Amino acid sequence: MKEGSKKMADSEILHVGIDLGTSRSAISASNGERFVVDSFVGWPVDMVAKKVLKRSVMIGHEAVSNRTMLDLHRPLERGLLKEGSDKDVEAVKELLRHLLRLVGVDGNGNGRIPTSNVRAVVGVPAAALRTNKQYLRNTMKGIVDSLMIVSEPFAVAYGLDALLHTMIIDIGAGTTDFCVMKGRYPTEEDQRTLTSAGDSIDTHLLKLISERYPQANITIFMVREWKEKHSFVNKAPEKVVVTAPVNGVPTEFDITNEMKAACETLLGPTVETMLDLLSRVEPEFQERVRNNIILSGGGGLIRGLPEALQDALKQVGGGKVTYMADPVFVGSDGGLALAIDAPDTDWEKLSA
Amino acid sequence: MGKIDRAKRRVLRQAVADNLETIRGLPPRGVRPNVRRSRLWMRRLSIVALPVMLAGSTFLLSKPVTEPMFVVQRGAPHKPLAAAAQPQPQTLTTYEKVDPAALPLNVHRVVIDAGHGGTDPGTALPTLAEKAVTLDIAMRLKKLLERGGFEVITTRTDDHLIPLRERAHIANVSSSDIFISIHVNSIVEHTSEHGVETYYLGPTRDAKLTKLAAEENRESGYSLADMRKLLDGIYMDARRDESQRLASAIQSQLYGGLRNADPGLQNWGVKRAPFLVLVATEMPAILAEVGCMSNDAEVEKMHQPEYRERIANALFDGIRTYATEKK
Ligand SMILES: Nc1ncnc2c1ncn2[C@@H]1O[C@H](COP(=O)(O)OP(=O)(O)OP(=O)(O)O)[C@@H](O)[C@H]1O
Ligand SMILES: [Mg+2]
Repeated sequence: MKEGSKKMADSEILHVGIDLGTSRSAISASNGERFVVDSFVGWPVDMVAKKVLKRSVMIGHEAVSNRTMLDLHRPLERGLLKEGSDKDVEAVKELLRHLLRLVGVDGNGNGRIPTSNVRAVVGVPAAALRTNKQYLRNTMKGIVDSLMIVSEPFAVAYGLDALLHTMIIDIGAGTTDFCVMKGRYPTEEDQRTLTSAGDSIDTHLLKLISERYPQANITIFMVREWKEKHSFVNKAPEKVVVTAPVNGVPTEFDITNEMKAACETLLGPTVETMLDLLSRVEPEFQERVRNNIILSGGGGLIRGLPEALQDALKQVGGGKVTYMADPVFVGSDGGLALAIDAPDTDWEKLSA
Repeated sequence: MGKIDRAKRRVLRQAVADNLETIRGLPPRGVRPNVRRSRLWMRRLSIVALPVMLAGSTFLLSKPVTEPMFVVQRGAPHKPLAAAAQPQPQTLTTYEKVDPAALPLNVHRVVIDAGHGGTDPGTALPTLAEKAVTLDIAMRLKKLLERGGFEVITTRTDDHLIPLRERAHIANVSSSDIFISIHVNSIVEHTSEHGVETYYLGPTRDAKLTKLAAEENRESGYSLADMRKLLDGIYMDARRDESQRLASAIQSQLYGGLRNADPGLQNWGVKRAPFLVLVATEMPAILAEVGCMSNDAEVEKMHQPEYRERIANALFDGIRTYATEKK
């Protein structure tokens, strides 16, 4: 290798795939490391908090747990970087540095992998536009050497080797992303993004419960926890009874109906978009796509959802919806596969 | 690099190409005239609504805003304003002297949309109809813009009802750079209050704004469910950011330019609402509510040609501010 040449031996290069999510972000690296963190970043609100926490910044679950002492940021909104807010840009940088540190990358050398050796593929929502991507690119400057930004459902499809005649439905926190794979890099018309997703269920559920039990003292964090334990659509698998304080006294509430109603707000838009995208597939391939629908993302865990989607498919000839059993790393693993497969000559053109 | 199959190699190549386009900074699609997209819209619109629940508020995410109550009144057709500027035949080259190409502006061509018209008077008072006020201001603004070196396209130059869809179509085929729709508010529950506000396209959770939008969208033939479908597809459109900038520029000039002449005028700010005419246009687009016809003092003012000229001037200043910032 020539002195001063930017090109390095393959062994020194670290490929990573990053799924930058509204609620969780995951990283998969070519050295075998995989991590997932909650997409929260917080800075101590004052000197006292800083002393207590003994840290200048906190990330992930730790940040959420200490939120009362932190200026807490969730830097992604509907899967995109919140533009125009310096604090959120700083937060997303912290989050990215943190993810990279977890897999062994270190900006300051220290005998670990230098940032200049990192090639990263980052997934963004299907509907992200060029401006959003440019914004993300600018933010990533100095954090990784080379960067490729792809649509998140495409990364999932690539990772699963599902590039032809499939549909990915990724129900995240901020967005529900749809992507029909037609053996090509998805274009605008192959993809859709809805804002009905995990977060909107939470908001809805909080509202419904507060309306029915105005005396109960509940927060969005409690609601999210209940949802992640008890979510369902259509027939209730069990009664949903939760505990919340009323004037400081823990009290039980039945929220079965509210849970159902909140989760089902997702059904309409999802079914409609799925069928609409299907109708745009060339007729001879429609059946194959219908039978290869892949559900991913945390929202895909809602009980009864794959069946409900399959029911809706009956009106157009039936189909099959498969849920990814372990959805946490499908996006980042797909990104990693892309990073590894992209030729060196391409990576050289993609400096951040 | 292990062996990978042809399909993978192809999509990889395309993914890289897409990234290189981003790096080269090609303008985002939403701001480029895009005929294909509009065809897609039409197709989307024609989809028969499926028997599914269209979830209420959560389907459209946005921060709730507190607004005064809007009621858009409807009434009989009215005569045009006596002092209305004479409508001019619409051509692409009616501007005076200055060749727009000589100006270092990214905004060359402006669509002015005078709200309502014909059988749809908008807010109708015994002495004054919204459709006449909007047309008069539109014609004044047109003159100012042409003098300033802009090209102007108008959606209507006389008292005719032009469907919203047609208005958007006129704007889209003209490859204009921005779209300005002029309206006048009416807030019958709060007749003592009057203010100006500027909208750009976006979802709203506010029931009153939804209602207002439903009223304004009435002759379109589309339901709110259609609107939701439309909106969900484009809420992240880059056009939104540009529209927001345009709305801010116009709102600040509107308020700044009118408050001295109109004591008590309130600044109701920049807002988002799903007005159809803003949905279907392909360029940055705003809808300005340039005053309140539910307030007697303001109606008085609206009768004065000088005041309408002042409004046109304020709109012009807003457009110029936006155009200059854009350089
Ligand atoms: N069992 C469950 N039932 C319902 N929702 C769940 C369940 N488990 C997790 N979720 C929800 O899934 C969402 C998180 O999913 P995921 O990690 O795929 O999102 P994300 O990638 O962070 O978001 P996005 O893709 O929108 O950026 C959250 O809203 C979470 O509450
Ligand atoms: Mg996700």
